Amino acid sequence: MTRFKELDPILHSQLRLAVMSLLVGIEMAEFTYIREQTGATAGNLSIQITKLKEAGYIEVTKKFRNNYPQTLCSITKLGRQMFSEYVNDLKDYLSPEKLG
Amino acid sequence: MIYSLILSVTKKISVNIFGLYYKLLYICNIFIHYSFIKVNIIMENEEKVMTGEESLKIISEMINKTKFDIRQGSFYLLFWGWLIFACSLSEFLLLKFTDVIHHYYVWLLVIPGVFVSMLYGFITGRKAKVRTYTGMLYMWIWLGFFISATVLFIVHSKSMYTVAPYILLMAGLPTFISGFLIRFKPLIAGGICFWVIVLVIYFVGPASYSLGTSVAMLFGYLIPGYMLKNRVDHDAV
Repeated sequence: MTRFKELDPILHSQLRLAVMSLLVGIEMAEFTYIREQTGATAGNLSIQITKLKEAGYIEVTKKFRNNYPQTLCSITKLGRQMFSEYVNDLKDYLSPEKLG
Repeated sequence: MIYSLILSVTKKISVNIFGLYYKLLYICNIFIHYSFIKVNIIMENEEKVMTGEESLKIISEMINKTKFDIRQGSFYLLFWGWLIFACSLSEFLLLKFTDVIHHYYVWLLVIPGVFVSMLYGFITGRKAKVRTYTGMLYMWIWLGFFISATVLFIVHSKSMYTVAPYILLMAGLPTFISGFLIRFKPLIAGGICFWVIVLVIYFVGPASYSLGTSVAMLFGYLIPGYMLKNRVDHDAV
């Protein structure tokens, strides 16, 4: 019997996975851009971004632009590595079904 | 009499105040109750178990959204295309039809052009909500070309009339690479055009440098620039 590696619980969540997938392809993104692309509410997105930040998967920088606060998010080295591992685990998880 | 009047007024005020208080309390309770339900719904959606297929779908959807808008680069192609085209054509016309000695003065227009370009880059950079790797690579390639061209102008300051083929040769490289980067064939062809024109003007001689530069701008920057600007489909890489 094939034993599957458990998928990373931090990444295996709709919004957190969406945020990570978005950040993996770009250098930096504003909070509002992530909100627009994911269609999430500001509150929920804020919670999930905090979780990702606490896990060390993303880096959050707060700045001011024209006297308005600006939150910038970027993926960390660990985040990239964990995302890559998650995709590999997902492939293993899906492969037997596809082959079957 | 006065006592009963005071009592009735006090009673009325207290009823109104406490009535208002209880009304507010009631509204707050409803609000808290519904907001709690709302939070729960959001969290429930967020934490629900995903299938592998759903995960893959989210990943591919999001990655597709982080593409570089290739039309962003059209401003620089058109701006520099028109500026250099105007300068080189003016110099050619001055050389051909007038006796003006300092015909190369037209190239001084490049200096304000650099400032306009930098200002545009600064403003759009500040406004941008996202920085893609392709966009950054695109910017660094052109910045590298700008630095190389500046160094070349300094090195060749005593023989400026010979600098045109070298500039065109260098301009061909970022144009060609940018074309591949944004997968836009007219820009790749534009880069090749620069190199072909360099060969042509080298063999024809210095008299053809100005006109050659105008033709290079037309095929290398202006035509691809307008095609890029008007492109509506497949506009991201």
